[in-house]
Amino acid sequence: MSQNISKFDPRGLVVPLLLIALWWASAHWGWADTRLVVPPLDVVAYAREQFVSGELALGLVASLARDLAGFAIGAGAGLVIGALLALSPLTDRLAGPSLHAVKQVALFAWIPLISVWFGQGEPAKLVFIALATFYPVLFNTYEGIKSVRRELAEVTRVFGFGRRQTLLRLVLPAASPQIFAGLHLGLIYSWLGTIGAEYYLKVAPGVSTPLIDGREHFEMARVLYGMVLIGLVGALLNAVATRLEQRTLRWRPR
Amino acid sequence: MSAIGTLSLKHLNKSYPVKGQPLSVLEDISLDIQPGEFISIVGSSGCGKSTLLRLLIGLEDQFDGEILLDGQPVKGPSLERGIVFQDHRLFPWLTVEQNVALALENSPLSEADKRDTIAQHIELVSLTGFEKAYPHQLSGGMSQRVAIARGLVNRPRILLLDEPFGALDALTRAHLQVELQRIWQAEGITTVLVTHDVDEAVFLGDRVVVMQPRPGRIKRIVPVPLPHPRVRGDVRLAALRDDILADFSDAPRETLIEQPAPLPQRFEDFVLAW
Amino acid sequence: MTSIPRSVSALRLPPVLAGYLTALSRGLLALLLPLGLLLLWQLIAEQQWISPQLLPPPTQVLDSLLELYSSGELASNLGISLARVLWGFAAGSAAGLLLGVAMGLSPRVEAYLLPTFKAISLVPVIGWVPLFILFVGIEESLKVLVIAKAVMVPVAINAMKGIRNVPVGFFEVARLYRFSLWRTVRKVVLPAALPSLANGLRLGLSNAWMALVAVELLASSEGIGYLMVYGRQLFQLDLVMATMVVIGVVGLVLDQGLQLLERHLLTWRNSAY
Ligand SMILES: Nc1ncnc2c1ncn2[C@@H]1O[C@H](COP(=O)(O)OP(=O)(O)O)[C@@H](O)[C@H]1O
Ligand SMILES: [Mg+2]
Repeated sequence: MSQNISKFDPRGLVVPLLLIALWWASAHWGWADTRLVVPPLDVVAYAREQFVSGELALGLVASLARDLAGFAIGAGAGLVIGALLALSPLTDRLAGPSLHAVKQVALFAWIPLISVWFGQGEPAKLVFIALATFYPVLFNTYEGIKSVRRELAEVTRVFGFGRRQTLLRLVLPAASPQIFAGLHLGLIYSWLGTIGAEYYLKVAPGVSTPLIDGREHFEMARVLYGMVLIGLVGALLNAVATRLEQRTLRWRPR
Repeated sequence: MSAIGTLSLKHLNKSYPVKGQPLSVLEDISLDIQPGEFISIVGSSGCGKSTLLRLLIGLEDQFDGEILLDGQPVKGPSLERGIVFQDHRLFPWLTVEQNVALALENSPLSEADKRDTIAQHIELVSLTGFEKAYPHQLSGGMSQRVAIARGLVNRPRILLLDEPFGALDALTRAHLQVELQRIWQAEGITTVLVTHDVDEAVFLGDRVVVMQPRPGRIKRIVPVPLPHPRVRGDVRLAALRDDILADFSDAPRETLIEQPAPLPQRFEDFVLAW
Repeated sequence: MTSIPRSVSALRLPPVLAGYLTALSRGLLALLLPLGLLLLWQLIAEQQWISPQLLPPPTQVLDSLLELYSSGELASNLGISLARVLWGFAAGSAAGLLLGVAMGLSPRVEAYLLPTFKAISLVPVIGWVPLFILFVGIEESLKVLVIAKAVMVPVAINAMKGIRNVPVGFFEVARLYRFSLWRTVRKVVLPAALPSLANGLRLGLSNAWMALVAVELLASSEGIGYLMVYGRQLFQLDLVMATMVVIGVVGLVLDQGLQLLERHLLTWRNSAY
């Protein structure tokens, strides 16, 4: 992915530019409902206004803080429980099936219950984001540890490794690519969870505010601005995660 | 106590459970290996060579018969026995240096001594300058040499080699055979080399153990009474090779690949049963 | 495999019987935790340590599940939801396959479309909902649109990946024997990319179910998600929980169903994978 980003191909711009031209033209000549098709510059103007007034920074900071806090909780739980299940067959037998069963409930179906149990405020939002992060991290940690090659485990036996040594020298490093993949996925899901939490639970400052307000007041410019913002933050999180992964896992063949 | 590095196998029998039934893999293997001796084991694929080495290193504890190292029964792996696996089994996240160091994790040496002996062994396999390389940057031959260094770095009394050069091209293989002969002579370690290459077996071994399959048995033991270092292309080696090859004159039996039963992933296998 | 089967096999039972016993003991072990939790839950609810408004007893949840079923409400709402999933999935997977196959086969198409596709995928479904609402309102088309978007992304990505990963050697063989484009696609590309295609469709279907729940919670007057909103509004948590159970079971059935189909269609693959 990162290779694609670094290698810029102008052909990729054709479709977006065409769309913008079409959009601009239909706004200019009134081909469609003018409320739906606002001039592209309106979006830019709105973005600028948000930037200057500080609303942009406020929303971004609030959402990112929420996202990272929820991510930390969910990822922490996912790592610990995933490792525990993978390392202890008994725990796996006991809790594995239940965890799988609970996972079947679609993420957003938890919203009503969470809103009753934790209210509509920040705690409920964190719970939801943590839940969104939890499962990808859990499963990847589990699978990563389970897929440690038996051949390599035999090597540690030949050298007389104890439990702790085996865990630190073999299991964790061997599982790390998949654990990182899980964390990466968890980060992406936490962002989805953040938007979901802001959208479904009580409104609070955040990047979703323009979306919600824009829809309520039928202001297309705000909605589009909000979408771009969400997309950009998602891309940013993705890029950061990829960079970290590549850094930490330098030993992998490309 | 007998001299250092005497290995004797007495009536070894080993079977694996296959579909609920025990399948005999090794049958009545008896062999006495002298200290400093170089033993080659040849046999067609599937005749239990790797299994035999796994018994010797101590990775399998379910078997009948006795394995004695200097008169003491072998129980579990120990640093006095080194092994080079058929697939080199380097840890991909560790550099060459760190992979060799892995073998010294539980050695009583001081840190400084460890550093020295690691450097020495990397030099021994002619890899000086590649200490910081990761396995994916190495060629097959280089990886195999790292594995040999890792197997030797503990100065084991016994070195077991499981088809260490099987996956290499002919030139690299010939080169590494000469290297191995040099290392073996320099270190004087009792060595057991498993191979399916009769040339290799004859070139390196003081004795060649010929095995036959289903179940794995010793067919005969051929002494190679030539001094080391040997010269490739020696007519006496060629004669011995032809003699041994005659044992394999039957066309190999063609069978479909059997999908190995998916290995149950068990954490107890990591010796951390809890 | 571990302690339990070992002790079972120590009894030297015939393998078939031992297998059953192993499965049975494992099943019992798996039930231990949920049964324990259920009992604890029932106890807490009965003793009213937590208000039943917040935690209705499991028996009550079961009751409302049964009532949903016997009143026919479950069937009608589930039917509506499944129809939405079906339409959304059909539209999304058709678009995704078309897009993914085209981008996979032609680097030129990829160069033109991939950045736009990436930008579209980067905004999660929820982010698209307001835009869709402004354009199409909150009726059926909204649901289909939202689900289709959720399906399209994984289907297209996996189709593209699958085709990209077809070994070049296969294409060379096809060229050697002068296969036409269509023949190459049918005889080489599709079979080789099938596992990845199937995987994408499965991900798509599971996304479809997620998206359906999300959109029905937001704007719907019928369907399984609506039942949930309704229960929440009336503070009938038993209804909410009963609906969650249904959502989980349907999600499982959809996923397993497709997996079964996949396994059936892909038997040629090496069983090690
Ligand atoms: N863990 C195992 N379970 C069942 N059968 C095994 C196992 N390991 C090896 N075998 C069988 O034992 C025989 C000998 O295997 P091996 O020692 O690897 O042969 P070689 O190294 O001579 O090719 C083969 O038929 C193989 O299928
Ligand atoms: Mg072998």
